Amino acid sequence: MASTLSEWKSKPVTVLTCDGRLIVGTLKGYDQLQNLILCKSYEKVYSVDSPMEKVELGLFVVRGDNVAIISDGGCGKSSSGENNNGNSDEGKEEEIDDYVGRAEPIMEISGNR
Amino acid sequence: MLFYSFFKTLVGKEVAVELKNDVILTGTLHSVDQYLNIKLLTVNVVNQDRYPQLTSLKNCFIRGSVVRYVQIDPKDVDTELLQDATRKENSPQVGGGALMEDKK
Repeated sequence: MASTLSEWKSKPVTVLTCDGRLIVGTLKGYDQLQNLILCKSYEKVYSVDSPMEKVELGLFVVRGDNVAIISDGGCGKSSSGENNNGNSDEGKEEEIDDYVGRAEPIMEISGNR
Repeated sequence: MLFYSFFKTLVGKEVAVELKNDVILTGTLHSVDQYLNIKLLTVNVVNQDRYPQLTSLKNCFIRGSVVRYVQIDPKDVDTELLQDATRKENSPQVGGGALMEDKK
């Protein structure tokens, strides 16, 4: 009932930070302030003039203040779309794939804390 | 603590959470904690065209400090009970908060 991150420990997670960045990595550790330790992490950089770019970050510590959303998964089953083993109207399952196209950057959180 | 109790009564309901960066996420309320951190299941982003990079989110933990609004279906709220609970919390005698759970 309490919202903890325990079920995502050692699993890949996507973190949206307050400045609008998306960071993907394996959740190695966390605390009650959502300070996070991510390993094998990378940032997914989206822009309107070029497709998504991955920037390797490696071991990354995010201070809890800067965390907006933590989501499970994020490495995407496949970004190439070659494993079309199911029919495409599975809806949500299909969307788990990384979006690799262009996108406007996400706005930063304004008036935080 | 009152709103913590209030949100606990909404667990399992469909809610929309608007973040301070105008992103709106809808999903099933899975849990909430004392900081009003929210866990949503089967998340969908409102305005997917604007945020295609967020369509892959499925289950997410939203930090309470970044939430601007939580939009709730009026059917899921017992406003009278909530009103009583707020009155009780503001009354000089006993601090309420437990009221919401009592009736549950």
